[in-house]
Amino acid sequence: MGKIKSAIITAILLAAIVVLGFFVTVSYTVPKSNGVDRYNSFISSIHLGADLTGEATAVIYPEGVISVTDYKEGLPAKPEEGEDKYADKLEKYNKYINKYTQCGSVYVEKDLLEDEEKDLAESVKKDAAVLSSRFDKKGYSSYSVSVQDDYTIRIAVPTNFSYSAYKNLNASARSTETNKISRTIQYLTTTGELSVSSEKHNIPTKDNAADYFKSFTKYSAAKNYAVKINLTKEGKAGIYKLTSDMVADSETALNFYVGDTQILSLNNISEAIKSSFYIQVNNEALAEDYAIILNSAAKGETLSLNYGTSDDLTINYASAALGDNAAIYLFVSLLVLAVGAIVYSIVRYRKLGLVNAIMILIYSLAMMTAILLIEIQLTVTGAFMIILGLALLCGSNFVAFEAIRGETKRGKTMHAAIKSGYRSRLTAILDLHVIMIIVSLMTTLICMFTCAGEIFACAFIFFIASFSSYILYWFTRFMWYVLSSPAKDKFAFCGFKREVPLDD
Amino acid sequence: MTNLKISAKMHIMIIVSSVIIALGIAVGCICHFVAGGYFNYSGEYKSYQSVTVSYVILDFNGSKDLRELCDGEFDEAGVKYYNCSEVESTTAGGEITFKFAKNADTEKIQSAVTAINEKLNQMSTLSSAAYHNVKTNLGGENVIIYGSVALAASIVFQFIYFAIRYRLTRALAALLADVHNLAIFISLLALCRIPLSSTVIVFAAITVLTTMIGCCFLFDRARKNAKDEQFAKLGNFEQVDTCVKESFVSICIASVCIAAAAAVLFVLLSISALSVVQIAIPVLLGLVSAISCVYGTAFFTPAVYSRFKRIGEKFKSERKQTKKA
Repeated sequence: MGKIKSAIITAILLAAIVVLGFFVTVSYTVPKSNGVDRYNSFISSIHLGADLTGEATAVIYPEGVISVTDYKEGLPAKPEEGEDKYADKLEKYNKYINKYTQCGSVYVEKDLLEDEEKDLAESVKKDAAVLSSRFDKKGYSSYSVSVQDDYTIRIAVPTNFSYSAYKNLNASARSTETNKISRTIQYLTTTGELSVSSEKHNIPTKDNAADYFKSFTKYSAAKNYAVKINLTKEGKAGIYKLTSDMVADSETALNFYVGDTQILSLNNISEAIKSSFYIQVNNEALAEDYAIILNSAAKGETLSLNYGTSDDLTINYASAALGDNAAIYLFVSLLVLAVGAIVYSIVRYRKLGLVNAIMILIYSLAMMTAILLIEIQLTVTGAFMIILGLALLCGSNFVAFEAIRGETKRGKTMHAAIKSGYRSRLTAILDLHVIMIIVSLMTTLICMFTCAGEIFACAFIFFIASFSSYILYWFTRFMWYVLSSPAKDKFAFCGFKREVPLDD
Repeated sequence: MTNLKISAKMHIMIIVSSVIIALGIAVGCICHFVAGGYFNYSGEYKSYQSVTVSYVILDFNGSKDLRELCDGEFDEAGVKYYNCSEVESTTAGGEITFKFAKNADTEKIQSAVTAINEKLNQMSTLSSAAYHNVKTNLGGENVIIYGSVALAASIVFQFIYFAIRYRLTRALAALLADVHNLAIFISLLALCRIPLSSTVIVFAAITVLTTMIGCCFLFDRARKNAKDEQFAKLGNFEQVDTCVKESFVSICIASVCIAAAAAVLFVLLSISALSVVQIAIPVLLGLVSAISCVYGTAFFTPAVYSRFKRIGEKFKSERKQTKKA
């Protein structure tokens, strides 16, 4: 390859790296927007786990249980003797005092505690187990549903904020995530049994919902989202009869309720439904929430107490346990490791090390871009997977470089050494990457269908990393060829020494 | 030809591995009956106690002073929290939550809460501290169950792939390496009482992946060298030792990277969190994973593989002789 061709290819590649690197790393205020519009870099837009952006927590109170603050707010002022309507006020005050009893940090209605038929603490414990199984299906990287002070339930889920949303630099992204969280908590804490009805008709699902509905699943295709209602044989007959009656009565809307809350509505029914059907919803998270709550209710997993989360649910967004700037420190750590790998390769392989450095840069940028585009949640463990991918790339390259160094020691020319070096490592590198790609893909698929959130994210990251590593391994050979073309001493370019055999 | 005499030291390797695994099982079993679990489950899985301190902006402009006040009271009461998170609102105030281990002294925590409340009452009536007892059931079982299924499937896949692409003896050695390293990793977890969360499954996966990378390099070297006539003349142990020596750097590179990442993250994220406790879990898991992999793949597996190889070759030659006869 000529010097000019080599220079042009190198310049194009470096320009692409610089441009992509700029968009990946630099956030700035858009000029002429009076500081209103802000461009958030790829890195600051990546969704982060609870360890880096904290978690959203909500404490839900069953009816009849209130917090100390609510108790104090509702407590009438103690009347003083001689005051206007003293007797009435005193009665009201005493009634309030006698209504509640303090249990730890909450106040509970005495009637509830004295109810012999229903053990309040036991009911709360059972409801926590039901809620835990519902939240489990969300595929969060981490979550917890706990019983707090015996009578309340504490729910903690990751915020899924990006760094810019966490730091409030991107208000719309933050409000999108906070809305998602509050909606999810509200829907998944819905109390009651599943019922399906129109204005005039209904199917008797109270006792045998599981006989009618096989499952409710989230469905997404080309940015359209729906809940798929899979019916059993009995369900098909039931829904067919119901919708036939509805059509005859000119009714068009079929509603799905959990308790008194309407969850879904199938509108514009013009003919009887014979088989499983879809109900379109606005977004993916909503489709997932609806599917989870309907599935749970259909299986008879109902909450025994009413938590009233639709009225005034307070959600706290706690700071990250690893510190407010943990995300920045994490990216600095990744940068330090990448720089370490670059320095090592340059020291050991001279200009050939620069080729490896370019590959490390491309790998880093490609990983960040892929994680952003595929919307994978990045946690500290995910960062370890990125580093393992980097080790795979550097390890593959170093193994090939060492094989070529060995070939040059046997007196081969650079061209012949590269050819035989890469050939000798062909199967090892191929086997290695095939195993890594298939294993990570297998883990990704198993965890995707079973909602194992954190492992899914990490396996997917490693799948992308392994794939990138193999492509970049061959790209290294190409760039070696391009960059070393103008070099007069190709051995010095790589820091290799050729041992010329005596018969040469 | 080589200074490494790993193959001859199989018995030492087996003793070391057995001791680590036995100690892990012993400590785990004792803790299962004494400390409430085979593993030391982290806050994600186990119950804990917490103190929530709510404050208003009129009393505290930011959480720094209040946190110092609370820290002082906790120190005085002689209790230590393992996690602290804050919720801050620029307009109203905020909330600080301190988490304590389930078995921390409840009376001491409550006395600290009383002391904090007394100090807060002197300033205002709007800020207050409350003690909570939080009982968490073992959540996220799915993550552990399906993560383990995925790991098992990966190990079986690698065995089949190696059996097809390499030899059965190498496939068996690779299978043993995966299982051994995983066992060492789990035993070290039980032994070191590292708090366990869903993160541990990811690091178990990292252990298996790193082992697989090491095995690929080790057995590829064995496959390549087998074609060399001079190499074929060497004894079984020398052959394996040569392969280990030649591929030692490649075997260790992934583990070294994980260990380096753990070290760098430990330093930088400790600065970020102003505490080493918060970042300790992933860092310790990373280090344990790296140690298990280097020991298992570069020392234990070659030693055992040399015996597998000898048995395989003996079986082959016997079959040949039978055929000839």
